Amino acid sequence: MATQKTDVVIVGAGAAGGILAAELGKAGMKVIGLERGPRLTTADFSGADELRYFQRQDLRPNTKRQPITWRPNANARAFPVPVQNYGNQAGGGTVHYGAVSWRFHEDDFRVRSQTMELYGAAAIPQDSSLADWPLTYADLEPFYDRAEYELGVSGKAGNLQGRKIDGGNVFEASRRREYPLPALTVDQAGALFEAGARKLGRHPFSTPRAILSQPYHGRPACTYCGFCQAFGCHVGAKSSILVTALPEADATGNFQLITGAMCYRVNSDNSGRVTGIAYYGPDGSDNTIEADLVILAPFIYDNVRLLLLSKTAKFPNGLANSSGEVGKHLMAHITSRVFAAFDDRYVNVFMGPSAQRHTLDDFNADNFDHSGLDFIRGAQISVGPADLEAGPIGTAASMNPPPGVPRWGAAYRDFLAKYFARYAALVAQTENLPYADQTIDLDPNVRDQWGMPAPRLTYDWRRPNELKRIEFVTQKLEELGHAMGATEVWRSPLGSGAPGAHHEGGTRMGSDPKTSVVNRYGQSWDIPNLFIVGSSTHPTMSGFNPTLTIQALAYMSADAIVKRYQKNPGPLV
Amino acid sequence: MSKQDASRRDFLVRAGVGAGAFAGAGLVPDALAQNHEHDKATGESKPAAHAAAQPHSNGESQGVFFNHDQTAAIAAFTERLMPGAPGKPGALDAGVTNYIDLALSGAYAELQDFYRRGLAQLDQYCRKTHQSPFARLAAARQDEVITALEEGKASGFTWPTAQEFFATLRMHTMEGMFADPVYGGNKDFAGWRLVGFPGAQTIFTTADMHSTQAFTRMPIIGLQARDKKA
Repeated sequence: MATQKTDVVIVGAGAAGGILAAELGKAGMKVIGLERGPRLTTADFSGADELRYFQRQDLRPNTKRQPITWRPNANARAFPVPVQNYGNQAGGGTVHYGAVSWRFHEDDFRVRSQTMELYGAAAIPQDSSLADWPLTYADLEPFYDRAEYELGVSGKAGNLQGRKIDGGNVFEASRRREYPLPALTVDQAGALFEAGARKLGRHPFSTPRAILSQPYHGRPACTYCGFCQAFGCHVGAKSSILVTALPEADATGNFQLITGAMCYRVNSDNSGRVTGIAYYGPDGSDNTIEADLVILAPFIYDNVRLLLLSKTAKFPNGLANSSGEVGKHLMAHITSRVFAAFDDRYVNVFMGPSAQRHTLDDFNADNFDHSGLDFIRGAQISVGPADLEAGPIGTAASMNPPPGVPRWGAAYRDFLAKYFARYAALVAQTENLPYADQTIDLDPNVRDQWGMPAPRLTYDWRRPNELKRIEFVTQKLEELGHAMGATEVWRSPLGSGAPGAHHEGGTRMGSDPKTSVVNRYGQSWDIPNLFIVGSSTHPTMSGFNPTLTIQALAYMSADAIVKRYQKNPGPLV
Repeated sequence: MSKQDASRRDFLVRAGVGAGAFAGAGLVPDALAQNHEHDKATGESKPAAHAAAQPHSNGESQGVFFNHDQTAAIAAFTERLMPGAPGKPGALDAGVTNYIDLALSGAYAELQDFYRRGLAQLDQYCRKTHQSPFARLAAARQDEVITALEEGKASGFTWPTAQEFFATLRMHTMEGMFADPVYGGNKDFAGWRLVGFPGAQTIFTTADMHSTQAFTRMPIIGLQARDKKA
């Protein structure tokens, strides 16, 4: 058993933890990062192995050794989920993600207020725990800017200091300056999408991605090999935390990363403060870090699990949980998909940075009038490969053939042979409202390889607001497929009620300690030297991917810790 | 299918290892067509007997995990899921059985009993319903059996259920067709040729990105060739 002392201990070296490590290290604080997985390098990523990285999920948690269970409701039995969409190594999910980098809309930060203003309180589903964030877009804008420039994001502005620019996202909130890098080369799926959407009077644009369109900060530009989503980048052009913030943290001389470290408890004392972290090493050893400041930045399940497992006589409901809100308001994007196949041309969707290539934002957030629609909020609509990556295994797994074509046999073989390089998938990534009974807790029956109870999700997205909206956006996808000139357009069947990608919530931030877990800086209302940073703090989720917002919030928390907390380690709000 | 045919098929399935990592023929699948005999009875084709054998196992038909009868059943089943035809490589051409056999003795070892029991149930169902093991049924009859599994109508399946067994075999057939040849399937890039996937390319140019034609600028590349180039 080893014990180390430090100023700051950070659990998880991913999107949030890596940035905090770099920023606090630069400010002279001694930082230890604890990472469950290994620290890989660009040389480790041959990338192009679809079986290993996509199908067998090599950069994700192992679903047998590190199970997460799901049940649709409190009366059902929970079973381990077959795929986990987050990371399991230094750099976290940013190592394998598609690198889509959005700023949330202004109204994403005030969904409750805006919905009431526009449509009245009755428009909010009665069972939804819809809330405003305790900060505005304007508060976060400097940190969005910081994240885009520190990490390297490619895109085109659609709203430069209030001036709308066609070709960028005209629905985005005002930004102070252009993206640091021009938009990535548009692939043929994007080109078809652009033309079809224009025909319909929409506002398509190249999706902003943390992938370098030109050399930046000593890293090379993207080679458009297409192995992004699910893969590590073989040239380091994806601006993952592994090639951005972690080297910066190393350079401070104040950062030590311990890999293979599975945290099982946040230690606390009777004074109401946390004192550090207990973790198992890769050899099974039981170790302790003593720290003045504890920052939790693993994925949302582990935040919730650590807080619940760390209960003491003083904190009988778990740490940071006097509100009883820990584990509640789980949200996940709901995905609807439509395929468009082309007889008269190739699309070659296997080329170019994968995931959501080209986007239209016309049906997201409150960018359209919901009057008479009987649902609130919307979806990001984008184009790309069948399952975010474009290899043939993923395509065979995720692209259902059109009606009349079987899933196997000669007719299926011919379908796949003809259309593998001649299709595009249209995807609606739909906002999920928060509901208090969508939860994360501890599974009483399933344990992980360390003997800890598995995080258990209780969740079913199939509620009236969500069902009406998914049908609405799916019709928009079909309309778009036809406008793109596709020979055939068909739907993918909707999944079960299980949570999809981008899980958020569980330790929501707010303005009131009675109804939220942390303040706007991720600081626990109950325990001022405990911070929680990551998408678990998001009160609502937007239809946009969360990573850039996680990163902006990490910069904001770091800024507050360095400028204010360091001098006066008490409540920041 | 005659016993002799079955035996030959087994042998050819076993031969599906040691695929080259670099195919000079690019994406043109015609070369593969020459390795096929057309079967007038079924309208399908079978690989010809002159394919080079590089068996990894001790016998012609026993795999690392599968025994002789299991090999025959898996080979026949996966070939019906992805049948070969002239110019259209199928599961036998790609060495799908070899892929699954190697996977079950490695990465998918936890599925050994799933396969063992699934195959036993399949065998019982076929003997009861058609008085013959799956591998000896005519192709059309095999398709009936697979449909019964897919629709959950095949009797006698407990665990795995008929639908679970079908779904797993379908997915593993796709893996064996399309995973890099280093995993023992996708022999000579049979699966990638079928669909026109250029493999582990490290770069696409702006001209490639702007093209509305099939990609033929580079030959198909596998992981081993990519590594040598780097």
